[in-house]
Amino acid sequence: MSIRMCLRRGSAADLIGLGAGVVLAAPVLVGIGYAAAASLGVVGPGATAAGVERIARVLAERTTWRGLGLTLWVAVLATALAMAGAVLVAVLFRGAGWFDRVARGLAVLPLPVPHLVAGALGVWILGQSGEIARVLAAVGAVRMPAEVPALVYDRWGIGLALTMAWKESAFLAVVATALLATRSVDVEDAARTLGAGPLQTFVRITWPILWRGLLPAVIAVFVFVAGSYEAAALLAPSDPLVLPLLVADRASDPDLGRRGDAYVATLLLLGIAVLAVVAHEWTRARWEPLDP
Amino acid sequence: MRSEPPGAARRAPARRGVRATPALVLTAALAALVACGGRDSRKRAASGDQGQETVAALATLPWDSVVARARGTEVIWRMWRGDPSINAYVDGWVAPRLRDRYGITLRAVEGQGPEIVNQLVVEREAGRHTGTASLLWINGETFSNLRREQLLAGPWAGRLPNAAYVDSTSPIVSRDFEQDPAGYESPWGRVQFALIYDSTRTPAPPRSLAELAAWIRAHPGRFTHDQGFTGTTFLKMVLYAKAGGVRGLQGGFDSTRYAAARSGVFAWLDSLRPFFWRGGTTYPPDVSAMHRLFANREIDFSMSNNQNEVVTKVRQGILPPTARALLLTDGTIANTHYLGIATNAPNAAGAMVVADFLLSPEAQLEKLKPDVWADGTVLDATRLPDEWRARFAALDADPRQLPRDSLAKYARPEISPRYHERLAADWRSHVRGRQP
Repeated sequence: MSIRMCLRRGSAADLIGLGAGVVLAAPVLVGIGYAAAASLGVVGPGATAAGVERIARVLAERTTWRGLGLTLWVAVLATALAMAGAVLVAVLFRGAGWFDRVARGLAVLPLPVPHLVAGALGVWILGQSGEIARVLAAVGAVRMPAEVPALVYDRWGIGLALTMAWKESAFLAVVATALLATRSVDVEDAARTLGAGPLQTFVRITWPILWRGLLPAVIAVFVFVAGSYEAAALLAPSDPLVLPLLVADRASDPDLGRRGDAYVATLLLLGIAVLAVVAHEWTRARWEPLDP
Repeated sequence: MRSEPPGAARRAPARRGVRATPALVLTAALAALVACGGRDSRKRAASGDQGQETVAALATLPWDSVVARARGTEVIWRMWRGDPSINAYVDGWVAPRLRDRYGITLRAVEGQGPEIVNQLVVEREAGRHTGTASLLWINGETFSNLRREQLLAGPWAGRLPNAAYVDSTSPIVSRDFEQDPAGYESPWGRVQFALIYDSTRTPAPPRSLAELAAWIRAHPGRFTHDQGFTGTTFLKMVLYAKAGGVRGLQGGFDSTRYAAARSGVFAWLDSLRPFFWRGGTTYPPDVSAMHRLFANREIDFSMSNNQNEVVTKVRQGILPPTARALLLTDGTIANTHYLGIATNAPNAAGAMVVADFLLSPEAQLEKLKPDVWADGTVLDATRLPDEWRARFAALDADPRQLPRDSLAKYARPEISPRYHERLAADWRSHVRGRQP
């Protein structure tokens, strides 16, 4: 509905909704506008003349695409692991007994942990001088802690993905648990009454409910992991650089003329987020007509 | 529960597509607005900012008038806040004295080199004649970038009463990466690069770059350097060696000489990289990460731009008590850090008074103490009153510090910041570009 139509109909609710949307979108749009202008060399540190050199330079660098690849890999792996953990918790510990309650409580424990602290915990536990390595050395599984495969600053970002998966699984577990508690019980009971076995019930009823309900949260986690800086700064390798680190690296380049490259990398990150949201909308549009 | 009728989702993409147009138009308009703002602000900067005029006017006033204007004001100081020792010195020793003597409230906030430049550029683009911070901790390429962008006010540094004590005959103090400070920054502290080793783990450490290379080959996986400023400084020392000494690179940036020396650096690195920590496939992001790896025995050397950092880090429990600083006989880079005043400084008079206090013998001596920060002084002891000269001499005898004559013997000055910029960029593309 256009602003003119809203005004004509006098719909206060519509106007308030539109205003709220503008307020929420304005910082993002201003940020996009500034990043676009800085990418074109119009504004920002080291800006001299308008042109597409910065964009061409960043897109021509192999490090950019390798960084993009690692970013997507870490985001996909962390999101998949977090979702798997959340689904397991929601499905296996859905009862009202104390054991299930404790298990659910423990699963959401990472929720209030700041990402910086999660990163530091990752270093402390997963590093080659970390707790796992020391325990393995102490029990004689390896001669010395450094023989444990590197999981911090490691080339495939495994330590970063594991840490982010642990941190984000709590958020997804909360959503998954709530979904099953509110939406699945009656339908599952009906399926069982009609003779469906546990596996059939899970595949036909539980999983579709979980998957569709979790999708927005999964997209949010994916986008967040892709753009997260704190844990990456503590755990990610120096080569290739995940995009958030690439942005920071370019923004603090000793050469002022190269700092604008950070904005191009920022737009790439934004592109990932936009594509993820578009994919979500497309999927939702295909499913919604099928919903009961 | 869905609120739209069935089928609405299938129609939605078309409607969203139509609605996307105003968003794109708005984004483009904002970009244009931002761009126009940037151009306008640059014009204003060229014509001189308020802060610049204030500093120029202040520099002509009697010092008492400057102090009177500073009294009862607040000074925001943008500085690196990553070291508890430095923070304790600034917050716990400097700030109370400024409040008691001048009525100045000192507020130190985070912001180092590149962030300072980026922040000031953005403030200028936003048309902020009065910025947020007055005093800036800077040197090297940050000073170069700020001067190039006309974001530093001055000249004012020579106007400070305590400037009379500065060791102005030292090329390391009087030149900032070969640049003439020209009164746009006041010296604050002096440091010298040093490797850090553990005297129990490495009882006979290498003493030169050649010995270091042999040691690295003999101890695979036990040496690395960081990707930040300190790591680049280490590589620059190798650059000096490959150029036949610092003199081969002095006198401004020369691309031919640089290219020749850089080839030597990369050949040296390539021959050693398989013996680096993790085979040279990854590098710690900064020195704090290096200190952690060193303390956890993952590597046998850390490094620092301050030869005395090992003292403070041992005291903080970050490094083992047996950690020691090591100077290489090829020479290690010494440089000075400075204080600048932004052109849009909201309190230039206060910033000048703070800079003068930080330059006083009292503040310099406190900063030099190993139990405080162990940051080198920029003052010339021979210019100091007898009382202060004796106090500085007493500190020289502290066994935890490297002897002053050793530091002087192996100190090498900085070269043009362009070398630093190029080496950092070339290392990045050389090392990262070679990964499969």
